[in-house]
Amino acid sequence: MTELRGSSGDASHHVLTRWFGTPDLHRLETYASKAGGYTALRKAMLDMAPADITNEVKTSGLRGRGGAGFATGIKWSFINRDAPGPKYVVVNADESEPGTAKDRYILENSPHMVVEGILIAAYAVGANQAWVYIRGEYDRPYQMLTEAIEEARAKGYIGPKPFGKDYPLDIRLYRGHGAYICGEETALLESLEGKRAQPRSRPPFPAVKGAWGRPTLLNNVETLATVPAILNMGGAEYAKLGTAKSPGTRLLTVSGNVRKPGVYEVELGKTFRHVIMELAGGPPEGRKVKVFWPGGSSAPVLPESMLDTTTDMEALAAARSMGGSGGVIVMDDTHCVVKAAHRLLKFYAYESCGKCTPCRVGGDWAVRTYERILAGQGSQVELDILQRVSDGLQNGRCLCGLGDSAGWVIDGTLRHFREEYEDHALRHECNVGKVAAHA
Amino acid sequence: MPDINLTIDGHKISVPAGTLIVEAAKTVGIEIPVFCYHHKLDPVGACRLCLVDFSPGPPRPQTACTTPVSEGMVVRTQSAMAVQARADILEFELANHPLDCPVCDKGGECPLQDFTFRHGYPTSRIDGPRLHFKKPIPLSEKIALDRERCVLCYRCTRYYDEVAWEQELTTDQRGVQSYITSQFDQPLQSIFSGNIIDLCPVGALTSRVWRFESRPWDMTSTATICSRCAVGCSVTQWQRRGQLVRVTSHENDDIDEGWICDRGRFDYTDVNDPLRLRTPSIGGTRSTWAAAVNAVASGIKGKGAKLGVSLPQDITNEEAFLFRRLLDGPLKGAKVKMHGRTAIPAPAGDTMRIREIDDARVIVVVASDLENDVPIIDLRVKKAVSKRGAKLIVVYPDGVDFDRNPSTVHIRNAKGQAAAEVRKLASHDLLKSPGGFVAILFGDGHGSEDMDELASACGDLAGKVGGKEMPLYRATNERGALTAGVAGWDSLDGVEALLSWGPPPTAGVPASVKFIAAWDHLPRAGYENAVVFPAATFAERQGSYTNVEGTVQFLRPPVALRQPLMEGWQVLCELGTALGLPLDYAGIFPIQRELGIQAPEPGPAPTPVLVGPAHP
Repeated sequence: MTELRGSSGDASHHVLTRWFGTPDLHRLETYASKAGGYTALRKAMLDMAPADITNEVKTSGLRGRGGAGFATGIKWSFINRDAPGPKYVVVNADESEPGTAKDRYILENSPHMVVEGILIAAYAVGANQAWVYIRGEYDRPYQMLTEAIEEARAKGYIGPKPFGKDYPLDIRLYRGHGAYICGEETALLESLEGKRAQPRSRPPFPAVKGAWGRPTLLNNVETLATVPAILNMGGAEYAKLGTAKSPGTRLLTVSGNVRKPGVYEVELGKTFRHVIMELAGGPPEGRKVKVFWPGGSSAPVLPESMLDTTTDMEALAAARSMGGSGGVIVMDDTHCVVKAAHRLLKFYAYESCGKCTPCRVGGDWAVRTYERILAGQGSQVELDILQRVSDGLQNGRCLCGLGDSAGWVIDGTLRHFREEYEDHALRHECNVGKVAAHA
Repeated sequence: MPDINLTIDGHKISVPAGTLIVEAAKTVGIEIPVFCYHHKLDPVGACRLCLVDFSPGPPRPQTACTTPVSEGMVVRTQSAMAVQARADILEFELANHPLDCPVCDKGGECPLQDFTFRHGYPTSRIDGPRLHFKKPIPLSEKIALDRERCVLCYRCTRYYDEVAWEQELTTDQRGVQSYITSQFDQPLQSIFSGNIIDLCPVGALTSRVWRFESRPWDMTSTATICSRCAVGCSVTQWQRRGQLVRVTSHENDDIDEGWICDRGRFDYTDVNDPLRLRTPSIGGTRSTWAAAVNAVASGIKGKGAKLGVSLPQDITNEEAFLFRRLLDGPLKGAKVKMHGRTAIPAPAGDTMRIREIDDARVIVVVASDLENDVPIIDLRVKKAVSKRGAKLIVVYPDGVDFDRNPSTVHIRNAKGQAAAEVRKLASHDLLKSPGGFVAILFGDGHGSEDMDELASACGDLAGKVGGKEMPLYRATNERGALTAGVAGWDSLDGVEALLSWGPPPTAGVPASVKFIAAWDHLPRAGYENAVVFPAATFAERQGSYTNVEGTVQFLRPPVALRQPLMEGWQVLCELGTALGLPLDYAGIFPIQRELGIQAPEPGPAPTPVLVGPAHP
C-alpha cells in the first residue's frame, strides 16, 4: 500500500498536519505531550462557556469540509442547547466521494485530533452522545479510532466526568455496509437507525430532527479535526489564513495522472496549478493536463485552461464548479473524457438509492446512452438525451445531491469538451492523443 | 392557529395552518399530480412529480407534497419551471414502464395515463430497451405484482409499515434495480394486504380475483356498506352485467378512513356463483313462492319452543324489526340463534364512537384480537398510537399484532381472568394521569370470559380513569339485532322444526329436526329435502345495519335483484301473512319510517379537480 503523502511547502500553513509524521502520534501520550493534544478540550470544558466555543468557530469562518461547505459555526448554532431531551453529534466518516482520502489520512495519522474535536463539539451543542458513522471498508482507520477512543476513555476524557466536570461524554462507532449514499447526511441517519439508507425530505433538517428524531449536529471528520486547532490558535488567527470567505487550510487529495499523488494540506486561495503542478508534480513526462475535477467526481470539471482557478469555494462557484470534498482528480491528454464520464455515470447509477425518480431512472438512462455513443451507435439524438437527462437531474429535481452530481458530470464535460462528445456521437471516432484509445 | 392566506396560480385562498400545498391547490380545483403522496400516509417527497415553483423560496422547484403553506406565499404550478419539471419527471417514469396498457387492468383508471396525457411531453424519445423483471408475481392468492410497471412510489411499503404495522412487504436492491418484494418471497398474510391495490397508482399491484374482469368504464359503482363484520366500513361495489365484480374502498373518515380488510374486499364471489339458488323449491322440486311460503308456514306454525331459528349475521334492521313481530306473535317461544355474535350483552346507553379513538390518550383493549375481530378498528388504534401519541394496554392471553410496537403494554391474562386484570388496571402507571380520556375496547375473548363480570369491570374502570367504552360486537348487525331483541343465543338442540336463515348453523343441524326451511343463497349439503327460499345477497338488497358504535348505515345495492328473487323484508311479509300476522308494507321506506330511521341526504359534492393545460 502506498504511503499517503502529506505536506505543503511552507510549514506555517500546516494547521492540521503540523505534527503528522511524529512517531506514535496516534497514541494519546504522544498526542498530548508532543502535539499539545487535549489542551483545547480542557480549555473548552473548564474555561469557556459553550456559546463562546460556538462563537470562536463562527469567528474562524470554518466551512464544512465534507462537500457542502456550509459555515460550521452557524451549523453549530442551529442546535438549541436548551431544548429538553438528548441531542447527538454524528460524525460523517463515510468518505466515499471518488478521489477523496483525506479523512482516512487524518484517522490513520492522528485519530486523537478527531476525538478531541468531537468532544468539543458535543460540549458546545449540549450533546452527551456522539456517533461516528465510518464506512465499512475503512478497516484500519476504524481500528485506530477504536483504540484512540479507548485511550481517551481510560484517561477519563470520555466518561461520566471529563476533567472533573459533571458532563458525561461518550463516543460510539457504527460501521457502514458499503453505500455511497450513506455519505448523504439524512441517509446516513437512516442507516444509523438501522433502516434502509435513503435520504429524507428536508426540511426538517437534522439540527431540528436528526438521529431518532432528536436535534443532531452532523459534521465531517476533517471539519471536527480542525476544531482543536481553532481553539488553540483562536478563531481570528485561523481566519487570517486562506481567503475572506474560505478561511484556513484544507486537505486536498490529489490523484490521477500526477507524479506525486497524495494528500496535501493547502492554504485556501492557492491555485490549482500550484497544487497539481508544483505539489503533486504534474503529469508524467510528455503529457499535459487535459481536465481536472477540483472537488471529487461530483464537482463539475474544469479544463486545463482554468488551472489558475484558486482553491477557495467562491472562486470555484464562480467557475461553475465547487470545492466539494477536495478530491482533485487529474486527467491528462491521453485519456478520453467521454469514457471517463461514462465510467463516472456508472458509479452514480450503481450507487443511486432509488428513492427519487430522476436519479434512479436518469442515471441508468444516461449510462445506456453513453454505451450507445461509445459503441459507435450515437447520433444527435443521444447527445440531446444526455443534455435532457442532465437537466432533469439538476435544480431541485432530485431528493439529494447524488442526482445533482450525476447531472454535473454530464453537464460539465459536455460544456468543456463538446467536440470530443461530437467526435464519438456524430463522427463515431475517438481522437484522443497520439496513443490509440484504450478500452 | 389562524388560517394562512396565499395565492395559487392567481387564486387567493385561505387554508388552515399546516395544510400542504398539494391539498391547498385542491380546494380551488387545481391538480398537482402526485404518485408517492397519499393523504393518509406521511409525505416523503420521493417521486418528485409534484414539483412547483413558489416564492419566497429557493430558486428551484420544491415538492408541493412536503411543503406546508406559509403566509403570503405565491405558488405557481404553471410556470415554465414547474411545467417542465413535471414533464421531465413523467418522462423518467415512463422510461422503463412497459407498454402494457392494452392488457393492464389499471387502464382507464390509471393516474400515470391521466397525468402523462395532461402534464407530460407529447412525444417520446425513449427508444432503448427497458428494464425487465419476471412478471407477474403472485404476492398472495389475491394480489399480483408486476415489477416492470412499478414506479417505486413506495406507497405500498409505507402503508404496510405506517398503517398496518406489518413488515412483510419491502424493497430489495438499490437504484434502478430496486423492486418490491414480500419477505422471503412468502405470500402476504396480512388481513390488510388488499389496500395496496387501491393505493398503487399504476397497474403494478392488481387484484387476482378481478383480473382481466372488466374495464372501469364498463362497470357501474355504488357507495355502500360492507356486510362482513360489525365495523361497517364504507365500500364501493362495482357491477357489470348483473354481477358483483369488484369491491374497493370508499373513504369514510368517521369509521374506516379509506381502508378495508381483505374479507370485505375479496369475499364477494359467491354473489356470482352459477349454482346460486334462484327459485323456491320443495323437497328438491321447483315451486312457486306461494306454495313454498305456505309449506314453510305450516311447517313452523305453532311449534313454540320446538321451533329453532338460525339467523344470519347480516340481518338488516328492517328484517330484524319484522322478525321481532313474528317472534312476538305466531312464532312465540321459538329458540333463536344468531350467527357470529359475541357474548356481549346489549349496550346500556351510548358507547364510544370509532373516530373518538383518534383523541384517546390511553387505549385499553381487552379480550379481543382486534386484527381478526374488527380489523379496521385495529388500524385506527395503530394510528392513534403511532401518529397521535396514544399509549396502548392490551389484556389478552395470546400474542397480538400490537406486540410489534415495543411500547405496547401487554398483560397476558389466564383465560377467563380478564375481568380480574381489568380491575387491577385502575392503579396502572399509564392510567394514573392519562392527560385525556381513556378508550376501553372490550370483546368477549371468543367465549372464554364471563361477560357480565367483564362488562362491569370495564364500566368501573371507565368511571375511575375518565374512560369511554366500546363493546366490540362482531356480527355485522349484532347491535341492530340486539336493539330489535332478536340476537338470540339459545341452543337449538331438541328442536323439531328449523328455519335456517343464512348459512347453516355452525353447530350443525340437530338430529331431532324433522322439518327444515332453508333460506339461503347457495345450496347446502343436508338440505336436499328442505323447503327452500332463495335469498337475496348483500349486493342485491336494501336495508340498514347498526354498526359496532351504534351508527345506522344504509346499504345501496349495486346489483339489480333478478326475479323471482325477493328481498328479505318482502319474504318476511309474505311469511307473516301466511302465519296469520298480516305484514303489509309497500316498500322498505315505510318500514324505515316506522323504525324511525331515514337514509341521510347525500352530502355536498366535493370540489371537482380541474384539468390543467394538455402540454407544456
